[in-house]
This record gives sequence, C-alpha cells and structure tokens, in this order.
Amino acid sequence: MTEESLAIQTFALTRKFNDLTAVDSVDLAIKRGELFSLLGPNGAGKTTTINMLCCLLRPTSGTASVMGYDIIKEPFRVKERIGVSPQETVLSERLNSWENLSLIGKISGVGSVELRRRSEELLEIVGLLPRAKDQVAKFSGGMKRRLNLIMALVPDPDVLFLDEPSLGLDPQSRRAIWEYIERLKGKKTILLTTHYMDEADFLSDRIGIIDGGKIVALGTSDELKRGISDRGAMIILADNLSPQIIEGLRIKGRYTQVDEVSGHLRVSGKDIDFREIVDYLHSKGIVVRSAALEQPTLEDVFLHITGKALRE
Amino acid sequence: MRFLEFGKRNLKETWRDPASLAFLLGFPLIFMLLFGLAFGGNIPEYKLGVVDQDRSQISQAFVSEALDKAFEVKPYDNAGKALDDLEVGNIKAYIIIPQGFGEKVFRDWQGQSENISLDIKYDESDIVVAEQVLSIIDAITRAFARIEVPITLNASPLNLKAEITYIDFAAPGIIVFGLLILIPTAARMMVRDKELGFLARMLTTPIRPAEFISGYSLCLFAVAVVQIVIFMLVARLFGMDIVGNAGWAFLIFVLTGLSCIGIGMIIASLTKTENQAEPLSWLISMPLAMLSGAWFSIDLMPSWLRSFAHAFPFSHAIEASRDILIRGTSLGTITTDFLFLGIWTAIIFAAGTILFRRSMAS
Repeated sequence: MTEESLAIQTFALTRKFNDLTAVDSVDLAIKRGELFSLLGPNGAGKTTTINMLCCLLRPTSGTASVMGYDIIKEPFRVKERIGVSPQETVLSERLNSWENLSLIGKISGVGSVELRRRSEELLEIVGLLPRAKDQVAKFSGGMKRRLNLIMALVPDPDVLFLDEPSLGLDPQSRRAIWEYIERLKGKKTILLTTHYMDEADFLSDRIGIIDGGKIVALGTSDELKRGISDRGAMIILADNLSPQIIEGLRIKGRYTQVDEVSGHLRVSGKDIDFREIVDYLHSKGIVVRSAALEQPTLEDVFLHITGKALRE
Repeated sequence: MRFLEFGKRNLKETWRDPASLAFLLGFPLIFMLLFGLAFGGNIPEYKLGVVDQDRSQISQAFVSEALDKAFEVKPYDNAGKALDDLEVGNIKAYIIIPQGFGEKVFRDWQGQSENISLDIKYDESDIVVAEQVLSIIDAITRAFARIEVPITLNASPLNLKAEITYIDFAAPGIIVFGLLILIPTAARMMVRDKELGFLARMLTTPIRPAEFISGYSLCLFAVAVVQIVIFMLVARLFGMDIVGNAGWAFLIFVLTGLSCIGIGMIIASLTKTENQAEPLSWLISMPLAMLSGAWFSIDLMPSWLRSFAHAFPFSHAIEASRDILIRGTSLGTITTDFLFLGIWTAIIFAAGTILFRRSMAS
C-alpha cells in the first residue's frame, strides 16, 4: 500500500493517563474510502484513539497521519479534512437544526449557497427537514442523535469519525443511521467505533478488535470468523435423548461441551464432525429432526480472542 | 470571520434562554430598581451636631450650604455639649470643623493639594445609620472641598453642581457590584460548553483557540454593555446626577466589566464543570465586592486591608466613576485610578485568555 492510498495511518500511537495505558502502541492503516470499525468493550481505548486522530488529545508517544498530515505537527490541516460525530450528543440546544449545521459549516469555510444546499440534503436524508426550524432542545433523543451525526458531514470531509453513532438509540433510529452510513461507504473514509457486534458486522469493510488499548485482531468480518471456524457448535433437535447418549458424545473427546438447552442438544468444540455426530445418534436409534452447524459470530471471535464476553 | 459566527451562536444561546436572559437583564433592572426605591428619595434628615471651631466664611458656607442640605444641623459652641447630646441620642453624630479648615479648602481650590480632616463622632449603636451618615458627610465634604474652579467666597461659594443624595454617592458602587456578577456569568457560559463537550466538538473544526475565545468575549461584552446601560438609566431615573462626562463613566464601567469577564475566564479554565465553577466564582466575586467599597466605605477598613483592597481595580472604578458622576471631575484628575483600572483590565483579560486557551489543549 502506498502512502497516498491511505487515509489514516498510526505509528505506535500511545496514550497514557497516569498509570493507565488507554491506547497501547497501536499501528493501523486505513485505506481511502474504507469503512473501518473499532470494536471493543467500554474502556477499550476506542474513543481515546479517535480523540487523538482528530487532534483533541496529544499522544503520549507515537503519532498518526490523517490524509497525509501529521496530527501533532499539522493539526489544523487535519481538522480541515475531518468530520467528527462525538459519542456524546453535542449540539447547541437553543439553536435550530439549520443554525447548528450552519455554525459548523461556516467555521469550516463552506460558502452560503453550498451550505444551504448541503444542509437541506442532509436534513432530508435523516428526516429532520420538517422540524428543522425547531429549537434542538425540543428534539427527542433519536432526533438529536441524527443531527449530531450529520453535523460531522456539513464540511464534506474526506475522513469521518463516528464515535458510537447509534449509542442509546431505539432499533428504528439505529436502522436509519446504519442505512445512511451505508450510503456513505466508498465515498468517504469512515472510522467508526462501536461495541455493538451487529453494527460492526453490518457496516464494516474491516474490523479491528480492540481490548485493553491494543488491537488484538484485524480483518474483514468473514476473515475474523474464519479464524475461529474450527471452534464451532452444532444444534440438534431430536427425540428420546437420554443422559447415557449425551454422555457417549462427550467421551468422543473432541467435543468439549455437550449440553441440553430447552429441548435442543448443543455440541461445541474443535473440529465438529457433522456426519460423525448424526451417524452416532442414528446408531443409537435416535430420530434426528433437525441438525445445523452454528456460524460463529463476532461475539464468539471476541470471546475467543480476549477470553471475555463483550457486553452490550 | 469564524469568531463572529461563534459569537452569534453564543448570543443566540443567551438570548433564547429565558432563564439566563431574565437573569442577565432582569437582575440589573430589579437590583437597581430596588436600590433606587430604597435610597433614591430624600435621605432621612439625620440630626448632625456641628462644632465650628474655624468660624471662617468657608466653614460657615460649608455648614449652611452643604451640610444643611443633607442634615438637620444643630450648632454647638463646644464639643462637650455635643457629646452629651450624642450620648442621649439627640443627635446621630457630630462633626468638628477644626481651625484652619477654610484656609486649607481655599488652598485646595487654588490648586494646592491639602489634606482636609474633620473630626466626626457618631453613635455606632445603629450601624446602618452610622454608615449612612459617614458616607453622606464624606461625599458632601469631598464634593465641597474639591471644587476645581477657584471662586471668590462672596459669590456663591457653594458651587456644588448638584445636590448630593445618597443614590449619587452609592450608585457607582452598586453598578460595580452588579458588574461583578459577570464573573459567575462568564465562567458559567464557558465552563458549560466545556462540560457538555461542545468545546471539544468545536476543537475538531478548524476554528483557532483565539477565535473561540473572542467569540465568547463578543457575547459577554454585549451583555456587559447592555447591563451598564440598564444600570445607568435606572440610576438616572432615580435621581443619580451625572455632573461630569457620562461617556467616561461608561468607559470605566466597561473596563470593569471586561476585568470581570477576564476573571470569569480564569475560573472557567481552572474548573471542569459548572458545579466547580459556580462556587469558585462566588467565592471570588463576593470578597471582591466587599473590598471594592460597594457596600462599606473602604476608608473605614484597617490600613492593611485598605491597601489590599486598592490592589484590585474595583475600588478604583468606584472612586473614579463617583468623581466623574457627582463631582464632575475631569479625566485628568483621576488619571491614576483610570490607568490602574485600564492596566489591570488588560492584564487580567490577557491572563484569562492565555489560561483558557491552555486549558483547551490536552
């Protein structure tokens, strides 16, 4: 990859808060036009990483470049090229939507005609146009969140930082935001942080799993899942299962966990052999009504890599 | 102009917030109205004993034309009798005009500076009255003795340009006190944006810290100017005389307002939340008000405290504006106060800007 094709590059980016290392020597290379997700639990270092990349926080050591500009040496060059939607909803409550967008737009040097056109388009897309003249203070949480997101887009930035864009939203608003983000894919470089698996899975080109300030896994959703595909699970619905038969599966050794969960038999472990299990059950005279291999989720990937569950 | 955009945002935020607007405009209005209603009328005529040991034309004029306008004057031949009457409460205070008083005042008028002293004994059982009596005597004496144009005594020696009432004397102090409330106002406005993350959001845009700060200052400055206009108009309505140049007095108040905004910025840079900034603001602004002479005359304080009080610009602001408003003093005579105020304002405002700016970077 050449320097030109990269939108964001970090070089041993590190930030410490007293004794705590929030971001620990992170090296990332995000291509132009890519949607990259940082997935991790609260406190993993996602927001700290974003804050350094948008020049709010100085790295303790290491550095990064955004669109070719160093975040320490040329912060204003960087700021001219990015749009940020912070994790907290941050709006001017007594201004209406037009005025909020216009504040960011004018500060970023967008001309009035273009600003008007862009604001209208953005408000239309997120469905805020009918209430665009109302003071933001009167908005619902979901509406504020949507405005919070499009504020990052008024300057028409090259790089977009979306910090937990759907945090605390109802499923409907969440879906609306996802759809909008999807429309931006390929047009903008987007760095998104989330602790929702499905969000990362649904939206990202690539995912970096971050835990304890370190990138512990990196790849597309499929690549990450394939990495643990030898650790699968099989769900079987069958009649007349007896404890002896279940015990018989266990002693095959490879299947570390065999449980009966609400009438279903769940077998998990390394190298699940679908045929072997079905044959074994048949041989014992069991009628198998259905059997399926369970696809690993990002949750499993996370659990496998970090040894802990990612709580939503 | 990015700072104008940001300034506009702050003005809109302030203007559209009924609670904050009510406070910013209603506070000076109600405060001054109450004050005017309480003190704007004629001051109660306290009985004041006068022992004129000087018996010069000037001292007699001082008694009949100045003191008599504000007090019910009771002349005494000697201090002993006055003391007896004071002890039984027939008079609230008595004043001894020493020999040579007329001479000194005359020399003052000739342009030689003289310290004029008067002995005053007062009944301290009623503190408010005592304070009021002393303030009035102080104001009257200064006004009388500091007439700048030399005049002949036989012409009207009492060239007091207006009759001094309590509101004349006290209004400048009240205005400066009102402006000190800008400290919490400024601190709150800035620290709220910091606390809610608005500052952080702005810092991800190309806006420069200096533009950000000027955006706040623009809004706060507008607030200060409107407040000063309200203060001065209401005070005028209640009979505050404006003998000298109102523009200069206005400028003094503007500088005072800017100092307060600067102090507010310092507080905003030292704190992270409104909950921290609020108490700190009051902790700073209230003692400053006490030391400014808005409530109590600084002259009554022990000398070390007086020097301490004079280290801050607010007592200078009160004295200088009082000189202009009630004595018609020209700017030349109050240059020191004025310069002190100006330099202090510049320093405090610069310090506030630098500190707040530094607090933005992390």
